[in-house]
Amino acid sequence: MIAFKYTKTNGAEYLSHLDLLRHIERTLRRAQIPVNFSQGFNKHPRIFMNNPLGTGIKSVAEYCTVDTPFCGDFTTAFNQNSPKGVKCVEHYIVSENPNFAYTIEKCLYRVKGISTFNPQEILQKESIVLTDSRGREVDIRPRIYTLEVKEDGVYFWAGCNEKSLRPELLGEYLCAIYGGAVGEIIKLDASGNFKL
Amino acid sequence: MINLDDLKELLLKSEKPARYTGGEFGFDDLEKSKFNICLCFPDLYEVGTSNLGIKIVAESFKRRGYTADFCYTPWKDFGDGLKERGVPLYSLGMKTPLAEFDMLGFSLQYELSYTNVLYMLDLAGIPFLRKDRVGKNYPLIAFGGPCTVNPEPLADIADVVFIGDGESVDADVADIFVECGGATKEFFNRANELDGVYIPHLLTVKYSKDGHICGFEGQTRVKKATCENLDCAPFPKKFAVPNCESVHDRAVIEVMRGCYRGCRFCQAGFIYRPVRRKSVETLTEQACSLIKNSGYREVSMNSLSTGDYKHLKELIHSLKENLPQEVTLALPSLRVDSFDGEFAQDARRISLTFAPEAGSQRLRNVINKDITENEILKAAESAFNVGYSAVKLYFMMGLPTETEEDLKAIRRIVSLIKGVYNKQKRAKALRISVSVSTFIPKPFTPFQWEKQITFEESLAKQDLLRKELFIKGVSLSWSDYFTAKLEAALARGDRRLCNVIISAYNKGCRFDGWIKELKKDAWQQAFDENGIKFEDYTREWGENEILPWDFIDISVSKKFLLSERKKAYAGQVTGSCQTGCKGCGLQNSCPAAKGDL
Repeated sequence: MIAFKYTKTNGAEYLSHLDLLRHIERTLRRAQIPVNFSQGFNKHPRIFMNNPLGTGIKSVAEYCTVDTPFCGDFTTAFNQNSPKGVKCVEHYIVSENPNFAYTIEKCLYRVKGISTFNPQEILQKESIVLTDSRGREVDIRPRIYTLEVKEDGVYFWAGCNEKSLRPELLGEYLCAIYGGAVGEIIKLDASGNFKL
Repeated sequence: MINLDDLKELLLKSEKPARYTGGEFGFDDLEKSKFNICLCFPDLYEVGTSNLGIKIVAESFKRRGYTADFCYTPWKDFGDGLKERGVPLYSLGMKTPLAEFDMLGFSLQYELSYTNVLYMLDLAGIPFLRKDRVGKNYPLIAFGGPCTVNPEPLADIADVVFIGDGESVDADVADIFVECGGATKEFFNRANELDGVYIPHLLTVKYSKDGHICGFEGQTRVKKATCENLDCAPFPKKFAVPNCESVHDRAVIEVMRGCYRGCRFCQAGFIYRPVRRKSVETLTEQACSLIKNSGYREVSMNSLSTGDYKHLKELIHSLKENLPQEVTLALPSLRVDSFDGEFAQDARRISLTFAPEAGSQRLRNVINKDITENEILKAAESAFNVGYSAVKLYFMMGLPTETEEDLKAIRRIVSLIKGVYNKQKRAKALRISVSVSTFIPKPFTPFQWEKQITFEESLAKQDLLRKELFIKGVSLSWSDYFTAKLEAALARGDRRLCNVIISAYNKGCRFDGWIKELKKDAWQQAFDENGIKFEDYTREWGENEILPWDFIDISVSKKFLLSERKKAYAGQVTGSCQTGCKGCGLQNSCPAAKGDL
């Protein structure tokens, strides 16, 4: 099995999750990297992605696992055959599926366009209840792990998976208080209960 | 150049933003060259990226060192959003505004896409009418594709029209453009001399007092371009793999061009003559190259009637041998009489489509669709025996000479097919869907003079079918009448329709092929405002009348079309070219006429 970290930038941030999966599958086929198939009535290639990234959000830290016997230079083979913006950064040969969709717990984002502010004001709050896109009330405060204002944008580690926080939701909240308009959002890192 | 990051907010608001970002795998980075064409497809990205024609034309420009980029009609959310923001429509490769190209080459695959052409020009900030562009620095507006066999409804918009095969003449015109240093008078005169090029401003149409065409002046003969050898013709080694799933998301090879059968209603069967084949070697090589470079898992063997390809078994064998094991083969357009259970076995599908087109043998003879009831039943049986449990049947209504008896005969076929299915005990119940479309008389067919049925007639026929086909397990559907009427008018239209199309566009018409989007009232008003009646274009035309497309030489002679029409009325079958040359006018250049089938 090969686990790899890849990007979704350069226009690829607009690909839907399903299309992205299809592109990875085709990239592997073009690269002649064999993928093992599931054993069922509807056989499908065993490719495991991390949780879907919101459309329009760039990332340099997407993770994926492929069930393959391939042991050559995966990164080079992948990148020669992948669409613009979907590029492998690192690959690891693993004996077990790291199961990124379940094990990634938090992600580091950078959001541009928010006016400068003192992060302590937010971090001091005990709860921040917002209405999400589906109309549900969520307390996002426990889902914010860190918050930093730097020259090139606001950086924060936010929850993923069960305690997930959509970065644009926090971005819009901060803009509403401090001014500005959410610009580029990029996922820079991910961490959790997996070893590579 | 357009920066995608500047459009982020609009892209995020739009459905499937990946339609508008480019960057497909297999699409090489482009740079401007001596001649830059943007191939424009007047339908959505998913439809346009499935089209093989524009890929072949792009390849022909590329091979001569020119730049060919692509653009598709944006859906209204993104298109209107661009307009609101004052951002011009751009090409997907270089992200360059369309107005900065030397030529915009629109591919006209179906008449109902004409308002989308206007939508794209509008979004690009380019005036519709040629007279409003003269002397200004706009790109040449060119049209190609099957609809250009009658380009007249768009004649006042076009600078150049390509008629016939686009493998070489399109790029020949680019050579002349470069040599002349632009769209000069010399350019138009020289381009005009090429087969397959029509320059509308060099032709004047004369009308008589009753509004009929009484003659042409100027460039009065335009011959279609024919690519004689498909094996040597440009064909892409790789496809750009679309960002989001397209309608035909697979590798496509063109097995043959043209069709031997000559069904009298079928425009493609006449305008693509003579039939030309690719060799098994070429096809295998092209399929392997496409699969290797695209990562697709399916190859579709396209043509108008793939079952008539002489070396089909050899081809399938060769493809299976040379392609990776997991790649499946798709065989669209198999005729009933060439259907073979063996071919269909690979695909794990449950539904099969047959197109008898007419219910009775008499009417099938009229339209020269020489398949018999027995052949239909035999094909259905072999399909059922390999596991198919659903059949789609295509018919037409409103065909010349059609009577109630002919429509009732549809019921007979359906019952017989049911009988064949129930001969054996089978696991699933049979499902039959009967789809009935309205006959549209098309230019360059033996039925080009025919009238189209009226709305009232269509209602009566639908009523009859509804009663006849009220059978368990049978579903019946028909095409929208207005859509068929509009298609007939645009297909058989003359230059006077141009203003109608523009009026319709200004009233918000676009994506007319989508029944949910079709604005019937707006179209009707557009006709009324311009003082033009639909019926002028859906009526029967006299055999001595001058037809709007009569100045075009499609290689099939008018004499042959007329004799076919007479035979239709006599119920005589002409049959396939495979049973001997029928003398359509191509005897001297047609491989089949020389016995090479």
